[in-house]
Amino acid sequence: MKMPKIIQFIVLSLLAYLFFKAPGFLLGKPIPESLIFMYMFFVVITILLVMTSTEKGTKELFSPIRALVEDPSKRLIRNVVFAVLPLIAIYFTYNAVKPSLEPPVELRATHPAPPATIKAYDKTFDLATLENPYRRLEKEDPAQFRQFVGEGGVIYFRNCFYCHGDKLDGKGHYAQGLNPLPLPFQGKDTIAQLQESYVFWRVVKGGPGLPKEGSPAISSMPAWENMLTEDEVWKAILFIYDYTGNVPRSWGKK
Amino acid sequence: MLKRILLLITIFTLFPMLSLAEGDIEKGKEVYGKRCSWCHGKDGAGDGPASEFLNPAPRDFTLGVYKWKSTPFDEIAPSDEDFNRMIAGANAHNGIPGWTGMNGTSMPGWADMLSGSEIKNATAYIKSLGGLEKPEKGKIDLSSKVRSSKESIESGGKLFRDRCSECHGEEGRGDGTKKLKDDWGGRTWPRNLTKGWSFRVTNEPEDIYARITVGIPGTQMPSFADPQSKKIMTDKERWDVANYVASLDEPYKKPGDSDAIKAVRVTGQLPKDAKSEAWAKAEYTSFYMVPQIIANERHFKPSLNSISVKVLYNESEIVFLLEWDDPTKSMPWDEKAIEIADGELFVDGVAVQFPVVSKESEKPYFGMGDSKPVNIWFWQSEGAIDSPQSLKLMNSKGASNSEIRMSEEIGLKATGAYEKGTWRVILTRPLKTGDSKRDIQFEPGKFIPVAFAAWDGSNGDKGSRHVMTSWHWLILETEADNSFYVWPVLIGLFVFAGELLWLYSARRKKD
Repeated sequence: MKMPKIIQFIVLSLLAYLFFKAPGFLLGKPIPESLIFMYMFFVVITILLVMTSTEKGTKELFSPIRALVEDPSKRLIRNVVFAVLPLIAIYFTYNAVKPSLEPPVELRATHPAPPATIKAYDKTFDLATLENPYRRLEKEDPAQFRQFVGEGGVIYFRNCFYCHGDKLDGKGHYAQGLNPLPLPFQGKDTIAQLQESYVFWRVVKGGPGLPKEGSPAISSMPAWENMLTEDEVWKAILFIYDYTGNVPRSWGKK
Repeated sequence: MLKRILLLITIFTLFPMLSLAEGDIEKGKEVYGKRCSWCHGKDGAGDGPASEFLNPAPRDFTLGVYKWKSTPFDEIAPSDEDFNRMIAGANAHNGIPGWTGMNGTSMPGWADMLSGSEIKNATAYIKSLGGLEKPEKGKIDLSSKVRSSKESIESGGKLFRDRCSECHGEEGRGDGTKKLKDDWGGRTWPRNLTKGWSFRVTNEPEDIYARITVGIPGTQMPSFADPQSKKIMTDKERWDVANYVASLDEPYKKPGDSDAIKAVRVTGQLPKDAKSEAWAKAEYTSFYMVPQIIANERHFKPSLNSISVKVLYNESEIVFLLEWDDPTKSMPWDEKAIEIADGELFVDGVAVQFPVVSKESEKPYFGMGDSKPVNIWFWQSEGAIDSPQSLKLMNSKGASNSEIRMSEEIGLKATGAYEKGTWRVILTRPLKTGDSKRDIQFEPGKFIPVAFAAWDGSNGDKGSRHVMTSWHWLILETEADNSFYVWPVLIGLFVFAGELLWLYSARRKKD
């Protein structure tokens, strides 16, 4: 027996939904609900378009629905559907309008666009061309490079690890008191995505130097220009990349 | 086939034995150099670059003395299982979410970064630093466990007040009368036993029993199983005390459950002191406090770690109850207080901060504001025997840009009392002051950012040396407003009407 069109429609939509949900269930990396909603919107529209491309198809698809009100033998189902639909509508409306004591959600860009230049240490830094002065030593003088990485580690463990963590995982022993939580450097989605000039900006100017979309008021990151020298900041940056095995992004110049 | 199964069984039984083999010291040294030396020092002397900013200080491995172990008091070496638990950490405890290490220290749990064999190798190296051999005595016996009961807790309580409260305080809040130091010269504050989440490992009776039985080597916490001790307790007595201590936990004051304080509306008079029964109407909302380490002078060795808040309001006024445990009442005129204090003695204090103009989307800088100003209510305990407590009202646009105003000007009042390890400060203010440009106006139903700070003068806290929270929320609950029910009902009727219309039109077509 051929599967009725309406069942086909439901099955296809469900399959698509499961497909979008799978990364969350299987890998623990869920696709955000809002994105899934958008995908599903297009999927459902597409299936409908294909199914209703011919007159016959359209008729087949909607005939079970029409039968609901036209076929006297379907009365029981009709009564059930007619009772359930308003209840579903009530449920969703209730959830949408009930007063909530949930604090407002803070929308905040974790990595907002940087300014073109910053002023610090009585100098102007052009973030588009700024590079870590010690980065080239990695190839030119590895021994010296290791030395500077080590010095960066000392700086990190005297200044940064309280929040960013012993393991550089953003879970320092004072992290629980901060909101937003300190960023981890482990993993491929923070400093691995950034250029060193960007990290330099974030360290030197801290929370107070964030643009509006970064919600400067709630970041606990200090402006380190007041407490660390330029040299120390660059060495600490060397260290956080080295310890986590991350490589800074570059402009692609060789 | 049978042979094969036997072989498999042999392998499986041998495997754990193989894995019990000693770790490789040389490989352990490598792991140590990469992961541990930053705090514990290049040579294990507890003198890494971070060490001077930590309290408790990182363990000095060269002495081979370990605070946390499950072997008896007369056995210096912890078991390998102890080492594994100290290094790998544990998820299943009552601690701070996300933290798998030892609570109240900077030692994280390493299980997510180091493999089992790396931990074993590091253990071998660390043991070699202090010349530790395999312990001769095994884990203390927990089989005599006395189940927690009313009787056990009661008799444990009696023993506690006799043997323990000198250091841990009458009600276990760590407000003892003794100045404690560890063998390395570091200041130690006795555990506040009402904060189960702050115990090094867990506050399960088994762990507490182990600490009482083994003691905490290197500190003034003795073993109560040691026959040499004047305070020796029998096995049953130690279980009773463990049950009692476990019962002291106040989970309802553990921070982190909610980010918003809900102010409860009451009719009539607001409470004037912390003892008032009216406070039962509100629940505690508690927050972690961490030291101020973002601007000089920074504070690295806090003695306070959380604050609990209740708020009530009526038609004209709002009242805050700020409650936080402090091991000492800092009285700069009192000899005993001076003796207990760590260094120079200052007064205790607490502060509440609000944005002057409350907008959900845009807050001022949480550290005393920025171009958007904040109101700070700053209460301090008595500075001299005959001087009163003080209350300052500040309008700040940054740490170095504060205007100090008279609190009377807007009817802001405060009074605080210290009792058995807890400060309770009551702050009262009219909901509205008539000057919305300079003062926060409390409006029911709106989320208002709020932040807290506290000072323990006996721990050298003064000025920028304090503990603090980041922004949280305060909301004045509105009277239940049921008008929103209209919408679901309307929509439901609307859908039903649509259905009927559909049915009707279908019938008509058929006719």
